[in-house]
Amino acid sequence: MLADNGVLTADTVRLGLAARDKADAIDQCGAVLVGVGAVDQPYVAAMHQREHTVSTFVGQGTAIPHGSAVARQHVRRTAVAVLQFPGGVDWGGDPVSICVAIAADGDEHGHLLSTLATMLLDERRITELRHARDAATVMRLFLPKAAPGPNVRPDTRRSVSRSRVPPWTGSRSVGTAG
Amino acid sequence: MRGSEDVPTIDGAKVRKVVVACDAGMGSSVLVASQLAAALARYSVSVRHASVTEIPADADVVLCQEALVVRTSRVVPDKPVLGFRLFLGDPLFARLEQAIRNGVPLAG
Repeated sequence: MLADNGVLTADTVRLGLAARDKADAIDQCGAVLVGVGAVDQPYVAAMHQREHTVSTFVGQGTAIPHGSAVARQHVRRTAVAVLQFPGGVDWGGDPVSICVAIAADGDEHGHLLSTLATMLLDERRITELRHARDAATVMRLFLPKAAPGPNVRPDTRRSVSRSRVPPWTGSRSVGTAG
Repeated sequence: MRGSEDVPTIDGAKVRKVVVACDAGMGSSVLVASQLAAALARYSVSVRHASVTEIPADADVVLCQEALVVRTSRVVPDKPVLGFRLFLGDPLFARLEQAIRNGVPLAG
């Protein structure tokens, strides 16, 4: 499945993972970005370094690991990966279960982070992300206005006239843990 | 080191452009900028994100994580630089909106 101009794809969504610690989780984030050809290996070291400088923990059990300014040279294309660690990872004292890993050489990912920003303030959607069991759910949460199918134009998210009722406003129950 | 009398200050009512800066300009700043943009749109204030080294010249106020304030102030010594600690709900964001709404001076 390819959508959103390939910045976030089903290939970069990995669910049900486990990590020993923060460093292991960042390694896994880096491995996904390397694996899809978005970055070269040195970018992963920069992700660790960036984390050491200032934590990328953003609240609500979520972190956004990414490289530093000088590491941009190792970015081949803008990509976002979503890694889910249901068991949680100790992120310097805060538990993290969602990593949104970023490699950017432009602003093509900006709307994904805008959506994440609203998700972090919406208990229902962030809970659904934490408990998502398939990539399609994650894609829908991050790209709520994208129509299903391969012919999604990247700018449909800006369309006001075509805005639809978000899928999570239905009667489906979410976050049914336990 | 700046003396307190040299701290750049701006009247909140005159703020038209807020820039959120971070090291790479690819993650943290984008997240904060999109939250602030929604909150400040009603005051006709635009919010952009940038890496610390590429802050636009027409920025009125610059926000960044506390750990980056000193570095950012060196890059833009003439602009108020305000630090936040939390990505979500840091008290600074409410203070900024209040200053813009009520015309309170912002210094940093």
